[in-house]
Amino acid sequence: MTATTDIEAMIGRMALGDRQAFSTLYSATSAKLFGICLRVLDNRAEAEDALQEVFVKVWHAASQYQVNGLCPMTWLITITRNHAIDRLRQRRAAAGDMDELAELADLSPGPEALAVASSERRRIAGCLAQLEPDRADAVRRAYVEGETYEELAHRYGVPLNTIRTWLRRSLLKLKECLS
Amino acid sequence: MTEDSDKEDDIAFSAEYALGLLTPVEARAFEARMAVDPELRVQYALWAEDFASITDDITPVDPPKAVYDALTTRLFPEEKQSWLQKLGLIPAILGGLVAALILLVATNQGLLNGPGVTGPVYSAEIAAEDQSLLVLATYVPAEAVLRIERTAGAAREGRALQLWLIAGENPPVSLGVLAEGEVSAVPIPETLLAALEGGVLAISDEPPGGSPTGLPTGDVLAVGPVVTL
Repeated sequence: MTATTDIEAMIGRMALGDRQAFSTLYSATSAKLFGICLRVLDNRAEAEDALQEVFVKVWHAASQYQVNGLCPMTWLITITRNHAIDRLRQRRAAAGDMDELAELADLSPGPEALAVASSERRRIAGCLAQLEPDRADAVRRAYVEGETYEELAHRYGVPLNTIRTWLRRSLLKLKECLS
Repeated sequence: MTEDSDKEDDIAFSAEYALGLLTPVEARAFEARMAVDPELRVQYALWAEDFASITDDITPVDPPKAVYDALTTRLFPEEKQSWLQKLGLIPAILGGLVAALILLVATNQGLLNGPGVTGPVYSAEIAAEDQSLLVLATYVPAEAVLRIERTAGAAREGRALQLWLIAGENPPVSLGVLAEGEVSAVPIPETLLAALEGGVLAISDEPPGGSPTGLPTGDVLAVGPVVTL
């Protein structure tokens, strides 16, 4: 795995239009990001398209990223996950399975905010394990499958208000464990 | 509402925003608040960081090379690709280089040690990926020719094999259509010697008499880097 500082250096050079840095960043991170696209979209051709779009975004947004010593991978993963989820939801919407939802934020979180986020926080897996299994499952589904409250309510056979209440409660428990 | 429940509300909202669970109206309202509230931006960033680690157990998968090629074409369209890239030959060359060098040194022992060697000996093993076409090319300085020895494969029915020299960013230069016999010689003008050093030899499938355009038109069947012995 390429070190955090190396990835930051590549993004920094990309901001100056360095194509070699783009190529190096691609080599270092594309397998991880492609894995995410495949996992979310579960379709090879679509995952390939998504990965291409993601790197186009990354190239154009590199100048908005500032080196801050913290988790450039989070930046890349968030861009990738959000783009893949947007596609997945468009697919579901086209099939008439979903109500309109806000498009996910493109590029986030911002560097200024990230600088405050500590990279030494506990891994989420351990904290998810402390939740009741179906609630941990719901959080994972929301993140990896992009499932909405409507879809989750349907899946667990509970009213919309109920699912929102218990998911919010689970998120607060999660936060307590992570802090 | 108390201060505590406000804070809890913000934490939950940030998480819902990061997960994409808010309605469009809620999401726009949250973004408007984030724009003026650094604390909220931090909450959101913390969640983004935590949620990103859900991907830790997703197995990385190497994307196909076509994705990278499409990307560079799209982002840097003005960048002239080298002919090796255009013909998709780089992996083949990297793979073949070491093997070629060993083979060529071994098979050219006689020539290397023989009399009358007046300049560097260039040699290439021009091979198809599956070895279905294999041609050994060795520059003989004394005769200023490329000695060609075809050890496997032949032109397709009604087609010809054409030999090309590719150097740097320059378009391929035709060295002519290969004779039908297994051994032949191709004259190399002195002006091409520099290109030979460090260049690449390739064989393409062409109509009888060779490419009508002066550039490869058919499949590139075999390729080999020129090594200096």
